[in-house]
Amino acid sequence: MKEVTGEVLQDQIRVTMSGHIDSNNAPEVEQNVRELLEQAPGRPVLIDAEKLVYISSAGLRVILRIRKTNEEVRIINVSPEVYDIFDMTGFTQMMTIEKAYRVVSVEGAEEIGRGANGTIYRIDQDNVVKVYNNADALEEIQHEREVARQALILGIPTAISYDVVRVGDSYGSVFELLNAKSFSKILAGEPEKMDWCVKEYVDLLKKIHGTLVPPGQLPDLRETVISWGEFLKPYIPEAAWNKLMAMLREIPHDDHMIHGDYHTKNVELVGDEVLLIDMDTLAVGHPIYELASMYNAFIGYSEYDHSNILGFQGFDFDTAMEFWRKSLAAYLNTDCEAKIREVENKARIIGYTRMIRRSIRRHGLEKEESRAEIELWKKNLLDLLDKTYSLVFSNNELDVEASTDNLDDVIDFVRGFLEKADCPLKIQMQVEVAVEEIFINIASYAYAPDKGNANIRVEILEDPKVAAIQFVDRGVPYDPLAKEDPDVTMSAEKRQIGGLGIFMAKKSMDDISYRYEDGKNILLMKKNL
Amino acid sequence: MSLNVLEKADLHMHTSASDGTDSPSEIIELVKEEGIGLFSVTDHDTIQGCRMVISARSSSDPHFLTGVEFSCRDEGGKYHILGYGYDVDAGPIHELVEATHVLRLEQFGERIKAITKEYGFYFSEENLRELYSHEEPGKPHLGNMMARLGYAKSKDDAILNYLNKVKIHSKYIRPEDAIQGILRSGGIPVLAHPVYGSGEELYMGEDMEMRLRHLLELGIQGVEAYYSAFTMPMQELMLDLADKYRLYVTAGSDYHGTNKLILLGDTNLERISDAHPGFRRFLNAVSDRIY
Repeated sequence: MKEVTGEVLQDQIRVTMSGHIDSNNAPEVEQNVRELLEQAPGRPVLIDAEKLVYISSAGLRVILRIRKTNEEVRIINVSPEVYDIFDMTGFTQMMTIEKAYRVVSVEGAEEIGRGANGTIYRIDQDNVVKVYNNADALEEIQHEREVARQALILGIPTAISYDVVRVGDSYGSVFELLNAKSFSKILAGEPEKMDWCVKEYVDLLKKIHGTLVPPGQLPDLRETVISWGEFLKPYIPEAAWNKLMAMLREIPHDDHMIHGDYHTKNVELVGDEVLLIDMDTLAVGHPIYELASMYNAFIGYSEYDHSNILGFQGFDFDTAMEFWRKSLAAYLNTDCEAKIREVENKARIIGYTRMIRRSIRRHGLEKEESRAEIELWKKNLLDLLDKTYSLVFSNNELDVEASTDNLDDVIDFVRGFLEKADCPLKIQMQVEVAVEEIFINIASYAYAPDKGNANIRVEILEDPKVAAIQFVDRGVPYDPLAKEDPDVTMSAEKRQIGGLGIFMAKKSMDDISYRYEDGKNILLMKKNL
Repeated sequence: MSLNVLEKADLHMHTSASDGTDSPSEIIELVKEEGIGLFSVTDHDTIQGCRMVISARSSSDPHFLTGVEFSCRDEGGKYHILGYGYDVDAGPIHELVEATHVLRLEQFGERIKAITKEYGFYFSEENLRELYSHEEPGKPHLGNMMARLGYAKSKDDAILNYLNKVKIHSKYIRPEDAIQGILRSGGIPVLAHPVYGSGEELYMGEDMEMRLRHLLELGIQGVEAYYSAFTMPMQELMLDLADKYRLYVTAGSDYHGTNKLILLGDTNLERISDAHPGFRRFLNAVSDRIY
């Protein structure tokens, strides 16, 4: 057996050392090594020591000589015994020496989590291992460690792997996770803890989304999401696709953190601490991207076949639906059904876009089963695209189609804010009348005969307490205030049709103003509370 | 003698007089190119190379110190002992070299006997006369002859598959004999590459100290603490021991020409002025013997 073999690659010299290297064969080893090094002087050297059983000082000297002529020497897969020799003699200080990976089996181990790139198993009481799908995952592991470390520095509670192991033909990273229990498991086994789970889950989500990440530290999801949209071009009608792309491009760049795969298998209860795991998808971007992936995990993925969720999360579709809806409500800090639906629909648009792309890429359109599923997602996507005009959202804004059908939703949304501000009933009624008039006005005239959206923003200001309500539409420029006030002394028959509503709105509010800006009609009204 | 302390010193290298590939006059040129201000030639068991350097060297060439490296063994193990600054005409150093030469000839004879017995190769009187006509007959000469006689495909084949396969009891002089011979020739005995034993072992920590104490009793005066194949912990260990036992310190590469990957002048000591005090004490002790 030859103790040293090797090849000169484009970017490195790869040397494999095996068996015993001692004074009997060191001269030959040295000769082989020298021939390799001479082919590419100074090129980085990678020594694979997986099969190296023993190395004597004669062997050490050969390695030291390599180091003298080649700045960059890395030795990998070193057995613990050989590593001790390298460590004792100071070699570990002179070059990168990596121990061989421990071999871990996950046969019969409990699966406790599953992410985009791997599956997490509990290997004993204190430790879990994440096994990567990709067989050549060392770089991914490195990436995940790095982002987990960054997240921890930024205050996000997470586990950082302390060891890399071999699991079958894949790599795994080992985490210490004492007595951890995923939220999926809690929801499946202790349904009475639903509300507690929602609260903890959303608190952590808000913490993630509230974390500003220094530029360049994490990948930006924006371009990725746009590329998902681009993929759909041949598969949906052109007008719908154009609208989708315009909306995706309109989502602004955002430096806040998003987890990217935030579902209940990736949130663990450890003691009384809630920890985030599976950090490889960590990124920055608008929170709608996160909500989209959450929608997929809880609903979208099981929308065609409701039994999917059971295999994935361990709880049923109804539980998933309840958890998702409650979480979204808590995240948006609202009970307003219309608000929840607005954001859900926006999340669904991105969610479906992603799933259709993924399914086509994975299974193509040949398989009957996946085609039926894709058709369902596509139908839902097109329905949503028809009545949606923007994918951004804000907690104190309601973005709805300017249609009289949505009047109740708008009033409901505004009322929520007024009630929270302890607004007297009389004033509440006055505000609602004004909101109704303005919204009906927009719904009736702004886009006719086409369709469009209206954005209603509510702000409660303190000192003095004022409700400020702003209506924005992108319809034809129109100043409803410019119209002369109707002569209310005239008889009803002689009065001009319309105009009365606006007049009432003006009357009942303390201040009302209009401006046209960037192609938008902006009407702002204020009411002292 | 004026030594430039900003220059390098390399006191351990081999010429073609032993197992190096450069002739003594080639070594002088290489040392010059390398910017080495002080050098010594330390061939195994011979001072022939030193004699040639002394006669080939001109006054403007780098400073030179006589050297030699003896392979020794006793009950405690094997050692390589360097001798520096001896008088090339002194009797004891010649007796030492002669003793090692006789041992090697005996060993060579045993090797011929062993392969004759093991493989049935036959060497005629004339063959043997030819072999022994070499100053220092060894495996390469025997290998060449075996290839010529058709016993092996090539010299390398002969060495690898026959000569190295037979067990020969190697013969060595004892460390105390080497140390005393060096001292009586006006030289300073120094333990070569201490951490690596005779080159193939590894002694760290207390093992190293025990070994050193044994040699101290036999009269060793210095350690080669700056050595091409030493890591920082090895160097620090030897410098600490040099402090503890107040030993001389030397610096050497163990350059063998193209036979090994070692670079000439690579001693892990950039400049003489950076050296441990033990090295300056050494230079002081040999100052009147530097050419």
